[in-house]
Order: sequence, then C-alpha cells, then structure tokens
Amino acid sequence: MALRVIVGIKWVPNTQAVRFDPKTGTLIREGVPSIVNPHDLDAVELALQLKERYGAKVTAISMAPPSAVKGLEHVIGMGVDDAILISDRVFAGSDTLATSYVIAQTLKRIGDFNLALFGQETIDSSTAHIPAQVAGWLELPYIYYVDRIEDLDLEQNVVTVRRILEDRLEWYKLKMPAILGVAMKSQKPRPVSIYNKLRVRMENPIKVWSNKELGLDPRCLGLKGSPTLVTKVTWTPEVPRKKQVIEGPPGEAVKKLVEKLCGEGVLPFEC
Amino acid sequence: METKFDVVVVGAGPAGASAAYTAARHGLKVLLVERGRGAGSKQVFGGRVYAAPLREIYEDFDKEAPIHRWVRKERVSLVHGDRMVTFEYESDRTVSFTTYLTQLTSWMVEKAVSAGAIFVDEVRVDSIVRDDAGKVIGVESGGERVYADIVVDAEGVNRLLLEKLGLAEKTRPSQVALGVKEVVKVGEDKINERFGVAPGEGVSWVLTGDVTGNMPGGAFIYTNKDTVSIGVVVYLESAVNMVKEPIHILVEKLRTHPSLSRLWADGDVMEYAARLTPESGYRYMPRKLATHGLMVAGDAAGLLLNTGYTFRGVDYAALSGYMAGNAAVKALEEGDTGEENLRRLYEKPLLESFIVRDLKRHRGIEWLMSNPEFFKKYPALATGVACRLFDLEGEAPTVYEALRSSASDQGLSLLRLVLDMFRVVRKL
Repeated sequence: MALRVIVGIKWVPNTQAVRFDPKTGTLIREGVPSIVNPHDLDAVELALQLKERYGAKVTAISMAPPSAVKGLEHVIGMGVDDAILISDRVFAGSDTLATSYVIAQTLKRIGDFNLALFGQETIDSSTAHIPAQVAGWLELPYIYYVDRIEDLDLEQNVVTVRRILEDRLEWYKLKMPAILGVAMKSQKPRPVSIYNKLRVRMENPIKVWSNKELGLDPRCLGLKGSPTLVTKVTWTPEVPRKKQVIEGPPGEAVKKLVEKLCGEGVLPFEC
Repeated sequence: METKFDVVVVGAGPAGASAAYTAARHGLKVLLVERGRGAGSKQVFGGRVYAAPLREIYEDFDKEAPIHRWVRKERVSLVHGDRMVTFEYESDRTVSFTTYLTQLTSWMVEKAVSAGAIFVDEVRVDSIVRDDAGKVIGVESGGERVYADIVVDAEGVNRLLLEKLGLAEKTRPSQVALGVKEVVKVGEDKINERFGVAPGEGVSWVLTGDVTGNMPGGAFIYTNKDTVSIGVVVYLESAVNMVKEPIHILVEKLRTHPSLSRLWADGDVMEYAARLTPESGYRYMPRKLATHGLMVAGDAAGLLLNTGYTFRGVDYAALSGYMAGNAAVKALEEGDTGEENLRRLYEKPLLESFIVRDLKRHRGIEWLMSNPEFFKKYPALATGVACRLFDLEGEAPTVYEALRSSASDQGLSLLRLVLDMFRVVRKL
C-alpha cells in the first residue's frame, strides 16, 4: 500500500501586517492579506520530502472559509497532490477543541492515511493545541517538535522520527497511523513551481467538504461546541512613534539627541 | 499534462492582463504568469488613469471597472516654503479617473480569466526560451519550461528578461525616476469637503518646487474614494547628486506641509510604496518591440509618459497589451510568428499610434529635468511675484515691478526669464 500523508493548513491573517486598535483592543483585520500559517509550510515541506523518498500521496486539509482556497492552491503549487477545504458556516467560531474535532473526523473520513503532519503552532493564536487534540480524538500516537523523518517501515507500519528540543535530540518509533507536530523553522519550504500551479487550474485538485459530507453533530461545532471562554485580552499599548529630524553637524546633532533622550528619561544613566 | 499554449504572457499588470484578455477572447489558449501574489500585487502608480484606451479594450469598462473618482479638477502648483501658486482647470468630463492600480489590474485579470485565459501567480519566470534559430519558444521557471507560439513580455520597468535576451540594455540611473508614495486614509465625506468636490469627483494635483527638495521632479496628490495618495518623484541621477535626505522624508514633508496637511488632517497613513519609472519613455524603448515569437508591451517597452504636468502609463500599457493580443491573434491566423510579421502586426502600428507620437513629442521633459535650477528658481519666482501682488501691506506694485523685483531676488535677468519661459513652453 502506498504511503498516504495528510498535512494540515491554517489560513491566517498575516500577523506581521495586523495592527491593534488601541481603543477596542481588537485586531484590525481590514485589508490585511491572509497567508498560509508559515509554520505549516514546514509540515508541507516535510510531507513533500516523504513524497520524494517514498512516493507518498500528500493531501492538504484546511478548515476555513472559502477564501482559504488561495492557501491550498499555494501548497499544491509547492507539490501537494490534492486538497480538501473543510468549509461550512456551522464551523464558524470554533475554538481549538471544536476545530480539532472536525479535523479528526475529517481524517477519519479520509481513512487510509499513515501520517498526519501539522505545523507546531499558528502565528495568529499560538496554542499548539490542534495536533495534540486531533491525536487525542483519534487515540493515535503523537510526537511534537519533529524535525526529521529518519525511517519509515511500511511493512512493520512504523515510523522513526527525530524530535528537536532546546538542548537535545530525541528519537522515537511510532506505530502508524500517527500524528506529528513539525518543529517550527525546521525545514526550508520550497517555492511553488509553474507546473504545479498549472495543475491547480487544469485538474481541479481541491475538493470542498461541508458538514453535509462529514455529518457531525452541530452541538460539537462552532460556538456551541467551543467551551473556551476568552475572559480578558490585554496587550501592550503601542507608543506612537515621534519622528524627529535633528539638523546640524553630526557632533552637535548627537549632543542634541542625547539631551532630548535625557529629557524624555529614556536613557539608563544620569545625564 | 498539456503544456503548450498559443500565448504565454509574462506579468499580470495592465499590459499583460489586457494582452491575455484580448488573445483569450479571440479563442487563443493563453497562460498569464505573475511573480507576485495575486494580480498586480507588486504594482505602484501615482493614482490617475486615462479612460479612453480602456473603453476601447474593455466593453464593460464604464459599468464594471473599479473607478474611485473621475478627475474634475486639475491643479498645478509651484511651491516655495509655505507659499504656493496654483493653476486650476475644472471640467466635468469623464476623461480620467483615480483608482487603486491593484483593484484595476485585478479586474482586468478577472476579465482575462473569464475570457478563458489561465492565470497563475507566485511564479517567477526566470528566462524566455529560444531555440537554436533564435525563435522564442516559451518561458522557463524554476527549471521547468512552458512552451508557446508567442510570448508577450509585460514584465514591467525592471526588465530582467529582456536584458537576458539582449534586447534591452541594463537600466542606468539617468534613465529612471524614483517615485515614493503614501496612501492616507481620510474618509469620503472629508475628502469631498476639503477638496471641494462632489461624491465621485476628484482632484489630480501636480506640484513642483521645494516639495522635491528643489530636485528635478515633482510631487503629486490624487483623491481616491476615501483615501488620498501623495508622493514625490525625483530623477535618480539628481537624487544621487543632490539628495540631502532620504527621499521618503520628502514625502513626509509633503504630508506635513503647512498649506497642504489640513487636507488630510487626522488621516492615517495606510501604505508606503516606491517604484522606478522611465524618465523618458521614448529613450527607454528596447531596440525592437518584437522578435521571432516575442512581443514587448507596457513599461518594459518604455511606454510611460511624463509631460511635466501629468503622468501617463497605465492606459498606454493596457493599449499596448491589447495591440499585442490582437497581433498574436492575427499572426497565428496567418501562421507566421516570425520577427518581420510581428513587427508589422505589432511594432509598426504601435510606433504609429498616439502613444509613441506622444512619447516623442514630450522628450523635452528630459531637457527640463537636466536643469535643476529651474526647480529652485521658478517656484520661488512665482511665489515671490504672487506675494508682492497679493500680500499688500503698503504700496501696491504693478505686475511688471513685482516680476522684476522677484526675478532679481532669484538672480534672474528679465531677458533670461523670457528666454527660459519660451523654452519651457516650447519643450513641454
């Protein structure tokens, strides 16, 4: 049986481009382009290496609104074979528990996968819950911070992975199917290629599954299925930048600058 | 997979999108390739587009295109310190409009896709591929080749592909200007009120003088739907020699200018952008606009006009793309994509079109741009005259007296003044 790898993708606002509204404490998402969560691209890259090494078929999945098709097109452009967009209004407002439930049920429906790879966390919420919770729902083995697949034995159905921690490396053997969290920045995600991009346009490799296909209990989905309460959000208020240009020869200008900074009390020493 | 197309278009800007649209609606199999993410994501322009060529290309233009405001007021200002002399022309015709170029280009690409073109983004074309006989046979990206009978190069002002082919020289600083721009969110009603325009109507404003730090060039202000685009264009050669501060500081000075800042007071800067533009399109043109299997359109072909009081490029680009698209259709019908035929079908009509006639006609701008003192002395002179005529605290001078005394402040003799004025009027 050929190796089947699933890779999870999140479509996130580009947090580097997001600004805070200091009055309401919410994100200003208006006009901010979304991107594939950069850490997921590490997982995609690792999956594509398995495709090269073992001829794996790689399927990307994403639970997101329809606009996330752009993200799935991107990873197919990198070389992923096909993709499923899990999209339905009843999924809206899901916390990580409800989300991981939907993703776990999607994996169950796909059925014959050997490995499901996820980015370790997402740049917009950084919970790192999803891969662990998916493994929990499916009662499958799970290792996180994986940076390398050392060996894959399809006969024994065992995968050997390397985990990278701050001070050491660890090796694990897992029975497949297994869930892996791929260490952040552990890979160099490849660029898209023109043929793979053409495939997106000519072969229609993206399917959309709504809850019609999955048939999940609405009580477990969306806001209803989400026990998480966000009770308080704090943030560091942005200090408006003052741009001032100090004219004059460098020596004098520096003097004036130091005086100004002293006046503002930002220098760590007495002036 | 079928990887041979009738036409591959490189670059999804106004030129590329229009070429793809035109070829696709005539039934050709077209691939439009863009390096950036989405259509037009790398594009920058001042803010105004002339409508007539777009009406010719896109039947549904007036109904569908993302038009922010029709330009009703044209202003030209000479600025010196916090004084400014402004000429204003007002008309209620729908000749040119403001928009965001990304929106306009996205719309064009949508039209191309609905006409049947295939659009792929995030793909960089590394080179244009030729066979041993020198015929262009396709493009190469990341080691993969896509073949086509005809390639349309609409890669933009930075023409790496044409340089590789040996069709264009490396761009020199003296050939290009640097434009830096900010988009300030002001609000639709506030713009109507502050600029004195009705909803859907806008202002196009060109300024020169110390708003460019007295460097050859100019500043611009365009009203969009609920934002204002402001920016400065300076000629790179002078920027290198004369620049005393980073060019983005000039934009900031424009934004905080005492006579202008109230127009966008309390506005948030939404976006910064910068781009190169050919100083003189005519001189920037490649030696040939077509070779065997290849046509060059848009900025890559040098189709950008700066008259000193207005900038044009988007409509020229679109029109050249349209002409390239039509030429592709004809050439494939005739079964001849050779250099001679493509030059006959594309280059010749383009050279004879109003675009290239305009580019030739306005070459005088180069002469003006090589005279930095104009940008210093004349705005000061004009504001000096206006100040003497209008800021009356005692005696009221005659126009002649005001002119003479202001000219002598600038070290300009009246003879020199008359000669310069004559030259400016003739050259522009």
